[in-house]
Amino acid sequence: MPKWNDLQEQSFLESDARARAVGLVDEGTYTELAGPFDRFYSPHLEVLGEAVEFDDGIVTAVGKIGKTPVFVISQEGRFIGGSVGEVGGAKMVNTIRLAIEFHDKLVADYPNISDEEKPVVVISFETGGVRLHESNAGLLAHAEVMDQLQKARHKVPVITLIGSKVGCFGGMGFVAAATDAIVMSEFGRLGLTGPEVIEQEMGKEEFDSSDRALVFRTTGGRHKYIMGDCNVLVQNMIGAFRDAVAKLAVLPVSEFEKMRRIGSPEAVERQLRAVALAAEMQPQDARDVWAKAGNPDPVALTDIPLDEFLADVKRLSV
Amino acid sequence: MEATETMMGRGRDAIDMIVDADSFNEGTIGAKTFDDPEFGPGAVVGTAALNGEAVTIIASDANAFNEKFPVVYAGIIGMEEGYKMAQAVYASLEADKAKSVAEKRPLVLIVDTPGNGPGKVEEIFGMNKATGAYQLALAEARLAGHPIVAMVIGRAISGAFLCHGLQADHIVSLDANFGTMIHVMPLTSVSRIIRKDLETLQELSKGNPVFAAGPRFFYALGGVEELVGTIDGMRPTIIEHIKAIRAAKAAGEADKLGPWGRGQLGAEREGRKVRPEVIKLMNQEFAAVAEKYAPSR
Repeated sequence: MPKWNDLQEQSFLESDARARAVGLVDEGTYTELAGPFDRFYSPHLEVLGEAVEFDDGIVTAVGKIGKTPVFVISQEGRFIGGSVGEVGGAKMVNTIRLAIEFHDKLVADYPNISDEEKPVVVISFETGGVRLHESNAGLLAHAEVMDQLQKARHKVPVITLIGSKVGCFGGMGFVAAATDAIVMSEFGRLGLTGPEVIEQEMGKEEFDSSDRALVFRTTGGRHKYIMGDCNVLVQNMIGAFRDAVAKLAVLPVSEFEKMRRIGSPEAVERQLRAVALAAEMQPQDARDVWAKAGNPDPVALTDIPLDEFLADVKRLSV
Repeated sequence: MEATETMMGRGRDAIDMIVDADSFNEGTIGAKTFDDPEFGPGAVVGTAALNGEAVTIIASDANAFNEKFPVVYAGIIGMEEGYKMAQAVYASLEADKAKSVAEKRPLVLIVDTPGNGPGKVEEIFGMNKATGAYQLALAEARLAGHPIVAMVIGRAISGAFLCHGLQADHIVSLDANFGTMIHVMPLTSVSRIIRKDLETLQELSKGNPVFAAGPRFFYALGGVEELVGTIDGMRPTIIEHIKAIRAAKAAGEADKLGPWGRGQLGAEREGRKVRPEVIKLMNQEFAAVAEKYAPSR
C-alpha cells in the first residue's frame, strides 16, 4: 500500500478498491470492516471451482474526513468485474445500515450534534452489477441496497463516486442514480444496459459497441454532467474525489435533497420532461443533446481540458 | 413437473381474476389521472377494489407497444413506463397521506416483465433513473405503511423484476408449472458468459439455488414468500398476505418485511447462509471502534 500522501496524487482510474478507500478518508482514521483477514468469500464461486477473494471484491470500511464519520464502500473491478453476489452484497447493505444506526445513536447521544459530525456513506462504484455465478443472490442484494438507500433518506447522505475502469452498470446503475449526490471523473461511465447488450438485443444499427468513442460519449462523465446525472465532475485523482466528498460531507442533509435526480414526485416530473424531449429529438448521438443544451460546438466538448469544459459547458435544463 | 395453463403475457386478465368483479378503474389513482393513452402504454396503473378495499394496481401490458420508444414491447419497462409506475405509487401516497398506517391502501404489483428497455436513446437520457425512481417510490410507500404485494404471473427478469417486484413487502408467485420465470438470465446464457458448461451448472443448480432459474429456487433464497398452486389461488393468497403485512406493520415488525425481511428468510431457508454471518461480524467490528468515530466532546 502506497503512503497516504502519494495516494492523493494517484490516478483514481488506475487505483484498486482498497487504495481508493484508504485515500478517501483522513490519514490514520481508516478501519476496514469484514476485511480480507476475516476471510469471507463467496461459497457459490467455490462450488463452481472458481477463484475466490477474501474480501469478495468489495472493500467496506469506516474512516473520517475532518469531523465527519465516513462509511466507505469500494468495489474492485479486477475481481469478476466488481460483480455483486451474496457476500459482497451483504457487506454493501450492512455498511449503509450501520451508518443509519450510527446516525440515530449519535443524534440521541449528542443533542447539539452539528451537520459535519453526522455520518455520510460514500460508494465508489466499479461494477457491471449482478454476479452471474450467484445471480439470484445478487438480485436480492441489489433490492436490499435500494431499501437501505430509502431508509437513509433525510438522515445519512449517500455519495456516489464513479471514476474506475469498469464504470457503473447493470443494476448498480440505478443504485447510483438513487443516491443523493454523484461525483464522477471524465473517465467514469454510468449506465444501465451495457453497449454490447444493446447491440445484441437491438442490432448494430441501434448501437455499435465497437465504436468506443460513441460508447464513451453516451455514458461518460462529461455527458452525465451535461445531463445533470452527475453533480460534480473532478480530475482523475483520488485527492480530487476526496476534496469533493469533503465539501459535500459538511452540508446539511436538506441540501442533498436538492441534488437528487429522483426520489420525489417533483423529480419524476422533471425527468419526464427530459423523456418527452428524448421522444421529440430521438437523438442518434449524445452530441445532439449537448447542442440542444446550448453548446455551439459539441464536438469540441470531448477533448478540451477539463477546467475549460467546466467553465464553458452548458448543462441541459428541462 | 406437470405443465399447466400459463398466465404469461396476460397481465390484464390477471387483474380481472384478482380484484373484485368489474372494479378496476384504469388510469385513476386518488386525484391523479393518466389521460394520455400514448403515455407509457406498457404500464397499466389504476385503482380497484380487493375484498371491498381500495387497492392500487400496477401491471405490465405485454401486448402494448410504445411508438415513441420502440424498445418497449412484450411487457418491457421503458423510461415512460418506469416513471409512470413511480407516479402511480406517489399518487397512492398522496391519496392516503392523511390516513393512519392501518388504513393506507395496499399496492398490488402484477409481475410479468422480460426486462428494462435496452436502447441508445435510453442510455443517453439515463434509463437507470427511470427504474431507480420506481424502486425508491415503492420503498417510500412501503416504509410509509402501505402494504405492497408482488404477484409473479409470468416473467420476472433481472433489472425489471428489481424495480417491479423486489421492493414489495411480500412476493408471491405462481408455481413453476405455470411457466413462471424468475432469474437474471437463463442458465444457457450464464453458461456462455461465465464459461462453465451447461451440464455442470444444471447439476449444481439442483442443490444450489443461487444460479438456478425459477420460483422454487427463489423461494429457497427467501426471495418469494409463498408459491401459489392454482390460478384461483392468486386472489385469496394476495388478500391473506395483505392482512399479514398489515399485522406485521402494526406490531412494529417492518424489518420482517421487504428486502431486509427476505434476507432473514433466506437464512432460515438455508439459501443464503453466509449473509447473516457477514452482517454479524461487521456489527461486532464496528461496535468495537464506534467510539473513535463519535464527536469528541
